[in-house]
Amino acid sequence: MNNKITIGIPRALLYYKYNVLWQSFFKELGIDTLISPETNYEILENGKKNTMSEACLSMKIYVGHVDYLKDKVDYILVPRIVSLEKGMKLCTNFSALYDILNNTFDINILNYNIDVDKGITEELAFIKMGQELGFGKILSLNAYKAAKKEEYKQNKINYLLQEKRLNRNKTKVLLVCHTYNSNDNLVGKLVTDNLKEFGVDVIYADIINPDGDRLLYKNISKALYWTYNQELLNSIEEYKDKVDGIIFLSTFPCGPDSLVNEMCSHKIDKKMITILIDELSTIEGLQTRLESFIDILRKDRFYE
Amino acid sequence: MKNNAYLGVDIGSISTKGVIIDDSNNIIACEYIKTQGNPISAVKQLIKSLESKFDSNLYKIVSIGTTGSARKLAGKMLGATTIKNEITAHAIATISIHPDVRTIIEIGGQDSKIILVDKKIVTDYAMNTLCAAGTGAFLTNQAKRLDIDINDFGSIALMSKNPVKLAARCSVFAESDLVHKAQLGYKKEDIVSGLCKSIVNNYLNNVAKGKKILSPVVFQGGVSKNIGVVKAFEDELKTNVIVDDIGHLMGAYGIAIMSKKSVKDNDFSFRISDANFETKVYDCSGCANNCEVIRIYKDMKLMDSWGNKCENGLK
Repeated sequence: MNNKITIGIPRALLYYKYNVLWQSFFKELGIDTLISPETNYEILENGKKNTMSEACLSMKIYVGHVDYLKDKVDYILVPRIVSLEKGMKLCTNFSALYDILNNTFDINILNYNIDVDKGITEELAFIKMGQELGFGKILSLNAYKAAKKEEYKQNKINYLLQEKRLNRNKTKVLLVCHTYNSNDNLVGKLVTDNLKEFGVDVIYADIINPDGDRLLYKNISKALYWTYNQELLNSIEEYKDKVDGIIFLSTFPCGPDSLVNEMCSHKIDKKMITILIDELSTIEGLQTRLESFIDILRKDRFYE
Repeated sequence: MKNNAYLGVDIGSISTKGVIIDDSNNIIACEYIKTQGNPISAVKQLIKSLESKFDSNLYKIVSIGTTGSARKLAGKMLGATTIKNEITAHAIATISIHPDVRTIIEIGGQDSKIILVDKKIVTDYAMNTLCAAGTGAFLTNQAKRLDIDINDFGSIALMSKNPVKLAARCSVFAESDLVHKAQLGYKKEDIVSGLCKSIVNNYLNNVAKGKKILSPVVFQGGVSKNIGVVKAFEDELKTNVIVDDIGHLMGAYGIAIMSKKSVKDNDFSFRISDANFETKVYDCSGCANNCEVIRIYKDMKLMDSWGNKCENGLK
């Protein structure tokens, strides 16, 4: 296999969590990548057309991005991740992603398979991916290690920027939301753009200190087995006393979020609202909910 | 020297409300009309009617506030100085009339809310999701189905001694439930009373779930005019529920009070009702987002546009 191939990366779901890792890895190996553009209505529409109606909005968006890339690249990176830690799980969508895409489109999917419960670690997955692209074990491993360093650096920078926002004297809201939703143009950005317009600083629960205490989540629940939701719980514990309120944002219909957010509303004593985003076309209802929530946080006394 | 007056307009899905107040928050003119799916003509009609009730020799309007789902559009038309969401507006109005209020229940045409207040500060709120189950629209639908005038709904409900149990989560399920009960031979008043109860149960289980309802409780919005629902709330909450005469005007009243903070020294002219307003909505093709862009024209001149996500939408 030669190096002249291009790998397509859909700008959706786990892209937002691992983009630095993925892109650095391919860069180390000298492979070109093509990343789909920010989510727009065309991508969403194409995603809806190619997905069963029960899938969640984030999934539909992902399928739309794959649809965008399918004729433009040689391979598409579609991760299959079952578990990232022993005894822990991801939402079943992430284990099913490979099969769903394979059955929807006629595309070449790059082998990327992590299942720590069965002994397949991230490192092994990357070595295998490198080998499939024609690189040796050592070369692939070195590329992975270099990419891992880049990932750490970026995570640290994101965390330090967040700390800066935490120390500013503005109304602060903690956005508890999966990375793939908080960064998406048609999901999280609708919310964060509006909040910024109201002069509110957004603290992201999905920005995690790579050197921070990772066991804080136990104060809320010890039994939760979804890795990404556990990370969000950890952030709630870390940030909740430094913010004015919490916004839980999820896409419809998200199984893990519907359970975890409900649990949080019983266990955490803080002003909070839950916002559920579906394939809506107007944002007036969203603005009303956000604006009144901010009014409450600021304890505005308009009548005096 | 004319006295200052402040105008508040609340444009909801079903009705449009206008209130003019003076410096001590007394209402000097008010009006309530149906929106009928056309907020522009509703606002014009509202302003015309307010003008006839308003003494322009005594007062001049120095600030304007708009609220409700069409607050942005109406705000542009009227040159509003304050544009705010209806939750805050309702809270401000209620607090100014009932300073000790703890819970505000609001059920309107398409949405329902609960607002919790402590020491004159709003502490929490919740609102129904996109579905309009358990709101005025649901009741109007069922009244039509039973061939009852919605204005008689409450008094019919009060006649019932044996209200039926109905599902109120969804208008579609309620229909099959309702037809079924009617065919079993239930009296009309029992079904109507059952509907009132189901509205209350739906509200308490979905909108107010997990929130502590403390008294004094104030009930507002179009549905508060239905004494059947008021009675059902009192039975369920086991407390007195306050319904104000001006409960349907609260949003407009609240935004009028809030607009006092943004007084501008220009005399508002009622001539707005003669101007020609037009909106054009189109799907922008400037980029792949296909935004729905709304443009508002006054006498053929472009006043404002919104809805675009990027610069391309302005062309």
